[in-house]
Amino acid sequence: MRSRRPAGWLGGVITIDGLVKRRGGKEILAGIGFEARPGRVTGFLGPNGAGKSSTLRILLGLDRAQAGTALVDGVPYPALPDPVRTVGAVLDGSGAHRSRTGRAHLRWVARSAGLPPSRVEEVLALVGLADAARKRVGGYSLGMGRRLALATALLGDPAVLILDEPLNGLDPEGIRFVRTFLRDRARSGRTVLLSSHLMGELAETVDDVVVIDHGRIVATGTLAEVTGAHRNLEDAFFALTSGGGR
Amino acid sequence: MRAVTAELAKLATLPSVWLATLLALVVPTGIALLNRGVPGPDRGYQELAFGVMGVIVLGVVAVSSEYLAEGADAGGGRQLTTSLTAVPSRLRFLAAKALAVVLVAVPLAFAATAVTMAVVQVRLDLGRLAGVVCYWTYTALLAFAITVLLRHGIVPLTVLLVNTSVVSVTYLLTKVTPLANYFPDMAGVRMFVGKVATDVVITPLVGLLVMSAWVAGLLAVAGAVFVRRDA
Repeated sequence: MRSRRPAGWLGGVITIDGLVKRRGGKEILAGIGFEARPGRVTGFLGPNGAGKSSTLRILLGLDRAQAGTALVDGVPYPALPDPVRTVGAVLDGSGAHRSRTGRAHLRWVARSAGLPPSRVEEVLALVGLADAARKRVGGYSLGMGRRLALATALLGDPAVLILDEPLNGLDPEGIRFVRTFLRDRARSGRTVLLSSHLMGELAETVDDVVVIDHGRIVATGTLAEVTGAHRNLEDAFFALTSGGGR
Repeated sequence: MRAVTAELAKLATLPSVWLATLLALVVPTGIALLNRGVPGPDRGYQELAFGVMGVIVLGVVAVSSEYLAEGADAGGGRQLTTSLTAVPSRLRFLAAKALAVVLVAVPLAFAATAVTMAVVQVRLDLGRLAGVVCYWTYTALLAFAITVLLRHGIVPLTVLLVNTSVVSVTYLLTKVTPLANYFPDMAGVRMFVGKVATDVVITPLVGLLVMSAWVAGLLAVAGAVFVRRDA
């Protein structure tokens, strides 16, 4: 336990250690571990099917691991006293029921965390959905759905953001928005962990890189360390994973 | 408590729950109107036994709405991931949802009984009213538990609705074996319907106990499965 924390310390250290996940006799995660720290954007990179989503789902308590731990500030997610205020998660799609309006979706999440309805309006404005708040989620575009998911994650102004493929399906404007937004979150001392299989899109956004392939971590370090002698992150990625030298 | 109010907010903003409310009020009164002039000791109560469709829809959609996948072009997400990140304790989440269903089903049962009895103009018996409210609430919870196990709404909705309306499979089974009288619906209606067309006599109290056991058992199994499996 940390006994002395610097002033304004928000917490939000993600520590993953020895995670093993098997599904239907197939090993999806073979004992992976890494750390994501406050004030930095950590890119969790790997080809499709490498185990990125499984790792994030275990970290959020949605899936169970056969072995290992995934902790936020030393605590498993389900044991966090106030999860919505500690961690925000953006997983597949919007995470909302299609026949509810965007605002109604955010309102029930806010209720579950004891947050005021005014916070709902704040996050709607923050992600640029204020005008679509009265529309049913079923009528949202993919990009709008992703914005709603981001708004949901931001409701509790959490110290940690966890995003699974946040750039998928976004138009260039949306990609720019998310990138700038995540950089700002990290600059304000928060932890950002995002998974992606899009290397080119990520190099400008991440500080630290964790590369996963076939359920194993094949590289970790700062962007410069992982890129190493390669021309760029993309080249390094293909050299490290099954996309390249195997 | 927060989790319960969140679940109530979910129910209140789901169009299919409004449909369920409408069904709960219209079906028993509609049957009562059609049966007008047919006398009998179970006048009104018989209609309320058939009228549980609304709470079946309520119990099913409360759960199936969590599992409904967005289209692949919308990212293929499900509300359940949002729910369980907001309320990570599986048991707390499920208990809050079940309680929210009860909090909607109970007033619905009172309201449906009131309008049905007004239509048939029979003086309400308090003991049988308690039976109706109990039967409706339990039926909602049975639909709830079965949908948790199946993670999909279509099958439980179809089977349960057909069983209460078109063909009562559980009733037909009583012609094959007397044990079928102990299905939850067959036993449960004895709480308020006196005359049932089978030879097996079940008192209201035994009916209550049998249906309680079904509900408790299925909720326990649903809870155990839900806690263990990946969301």
